[in-house]
Amino acid sequence: MKMNPLVSLRNISKSYGSVRANDKINLDIYPGQILALLGENGAGKSTLMSILAGKSLPDEGEIYYQGQRVFLTSEKDSLALGIGMVYQHFMLIEEMQVWENIALGQEEGFWVRKNKIKEKIKDLIAQYDFTLDVDARVKDLSMGEKQRVEILKLLYQDSKILILDEPTSVLTPQETEKLFAGLRKMAREGRAVIFISHKLEEVLEISDEVAILRKGQIVDRVATRDIASPKELALKMVGREVLLDLKPREIEPKEEVLKLENVWGEKLKNINLSLRRGEILALVGVAGNGQQELVEIITGLKRKYQGKVWLFGEEARLFFDSPKSRDYLAYIPEDRLGMATCPELVLTENFLLTLRHHFQKGPLVDYKGAERDLWSKIEEFKIKTPGTHLKARQLSGGNLQKLVLAREFRREPKLIIAEQPTQGLDIGAMQEVWKLLLKAREKAGILLISGDLGEALSLADRIAVIFAGEIVTTFSSRDGEKVAQIGFFMAGGK
Amino acid sequence: MFSIEVLGLLLSATIQAGTPILLATLGEIITEKGGILNLGVEGMMAMGAFMAFLGTYLTHNPWAGFVLGGMGACFLAFLHGVVCLIFRGNQVVSGLAITVLGLGLANFLGTPYVGIKTVGFDKLDLPLLKDIPFLGEVFFKQDVLVYFSLLLAPVLYLLFEKTRFGLRLKAVGENPYAARARGIKVFFYQWVALLSGAFLVGVAGSYLSLAYTHVWTNGLTAGRGWIAVALVIFAFWRPFRAIWGAYLFGGVMALQLRIQALGSNISSSLLLMLPYLLTIGVLLLACFKKKGLDAPAHLGLNIEPKD
Repeated sequence: MKMNPLVSLRNISKSYGSVRANDKINLDIYPGQILALLGENGAGKSTLMSILAGKSLPDEGEIYYQGQRVFLTSEKDSLALGIGMVYQHFMLIEEMQVWENIALGQEEGFWVRKNKIKEKIKDLIAQYDFTLDVDARVKDLSMGEKQRVEILKLLYQDSKILILDEPTSVLTPQETEKLFAGLRKMAREGRAVIFISHKLEEVLEISDEVAILRKGQIVDRVATRDIASPKELALKMVGREVLLDLKPREIEPKEEVLKLENVWGEKLKNINLSLRRGEILALVGVAGNGQQELVEIITGLKRKYQGKVWLFGEEARLFFDSPKSRDYLAYIPEDRLGMATCPELVLTENFLLTLRHHFQKGPLVDYKGAERDLWSKIEEFKIKTPGTHLKARQLSGGNLQKLVLAREFRREPKLIIAEQPTQGLDIGAMQEVWKLLLKAREKAGILLISGDLGEALSLADRIAVIFAGEIVTTFSSRDGEKVAQIGFFMAGGK
Repeated sequence: MFSIEVLGLLLSATIQAGTPILLATLGEIITEKGGILNLGVEGMMAMGAFMAFLGTYLTHNPWAGFVLGGMGACFLAFLHGVVCLIFRGNQVVSGLAITVLGLGLANFLGTPYVGIKTVGFDKLDLPLLKDIPFLGEVFFKQDVLVYFSLLLAPVLYLLFEKTRFGLRLKAVGENPYAARARGIKVFFYQWVALLSGAFLVGVAGSYLSLAYTHVWTNGLTAGRGWIAVALVIFAFWRPFRAIWGAYLFGGVMALQLRIQALGSNISSSLLLMLPYLLTIGVLLLACFKKKGLDAPAHLGLNIEPKD
């Protein structure tokens, strides 16, 4: 029953420096189908689709639209053929209204016919059962709403091929359901939907077909209904057996490195915590229950609180004024691009951000030395990059996180605060980060703040549950009885 | 001493002093809406003033001066565009260089003509309207550039708020990458914004040499270009607010001249300082009203080429 493909990609190759992002890729896209592009970060999914969307130019290869060879040299060319993409980083104009964002580029005539445009958009919103205020300013919208604006932009111009790059990473489960319903409707109308993801369950739920990318090549393409188990899919994606159970061996905990005594803050209520070198304490809970404030207090970003914080046996205030604070404490923030690194600085400079004092030559910084050191770390941590001259923002999420870890571990810290260290990473990168954290545990105490229970249970020696600014309970991760009740604790049960 | 006639004269002088600032401010608003920061206004205005004088002096037709004045500023804007839009140079540095270049060129080329008079735009009383008591005296016995500048504000408002061009231009100034992703030719819009804005700045200069005075002297702009740059912020990038801002400055300029003429014993240096003090004042005011942060989000930043 196969129809003719709407678009065919033939032998598409694209390199960034020495990294081959796409290597002779062939892909057919059929109307009325949801095709999932599954692959690890850096496998080349986004690159391939931005070529189809006209944002990047391929080094080699041909693109055929309904059998005709086409040259997509700009987004305009792709849009004209009805190919549109929703990027992971939204391309929206924050200061403008929803309807202006949607109509932009599609307005006709000299005057903007506001009412007519708004009517058309409202019809689309009703048709796909989205909820959205067309007059709202984009900056006031939630991430889910912004995504709907992006999708409406494509529907407004009646795009036949819709590409969505990791669309669910910013959505709540309910929003995801709505999105999926909308996507199915679009496919029923005969549109082709391409869904880029590294989340297996999602791909199985939404797609008709799955194309798996690995290291810039399509390794397999299967009909979703023929897939027996997600594990099989994961294996194809990473090309190696996934270790989902790491079972850390226990280490004898050494001296206490962090202690909080009756700490009260804006959200926090009477926090008592203790962490020793050689153990991982996972702080779990639904986001927004005071985790952020706790991290800010421990890392010294926030100095207004009541109670006592002890770092390495010293009161926090004294600790942060002492030279020890340079290396004893490492912080791995959730916000990789912005807090952990400067997006516009090159890797060497980012490497030096917290290591300046290791590379001092009198009043000067030893750049050469830092670069040599960074190269050895790039090998040791398997960071995929063509060089040290790249800007931080040019690195993929997983590689950037590994760079941050390499930098922070280089200081040989005795206390590590790791905030959502694997968020947004694919399975392969996640495993590597986990292994690195377990290795670091031998020399340091680690406070792991995680929204991922699986992660907390795989890594932690002890688990603390936070709810409404309070530590509800703390227990060993081997305490099966308590572990079974985590969900209950996370909802505030005692 | 402040009879109604004096007040009328003062207001009339206010409009004359405010018009060049208004024209320059409107020009800079267009440019900045497209995301380009042009700090060369002072230099472009000086260049416009001289070219307008020269054109009129040679042809005896002030409209030839008008066009040439605009073109003079456009020439400098073209340099700014080559540096910033083509080679992605620093917009602040380029703008400052253009101010220095424009002021220098105008002085250098203008030296032989210092003190020479020329025809210019004379007062053009509007029939009927001029007979309205008081208002007619203030508003409708002005020269044609005053009427032009007052018409321009609503025209620009309509352009920005109601037309496709305006929507796209604002999109380019706010987020050129999003605009480009929608198939909009961002550099086309930026060049149009830069050159048309500069043309108005040149016309502002023309006003100084052809209407405000009918004679060429060096240093005619006297910081008005800088005031216009500040006024764009004060006006929150909105054409109508630019009118009030420009006339506020015109008023202070006219008033200080008046006070000097009355032989007050306040030092004239202090009085001459007033407009510039006011500039700092309005900028502070704009900061206190938080809405003043409505600058185009991509103002002054260069657009990275796509990979």
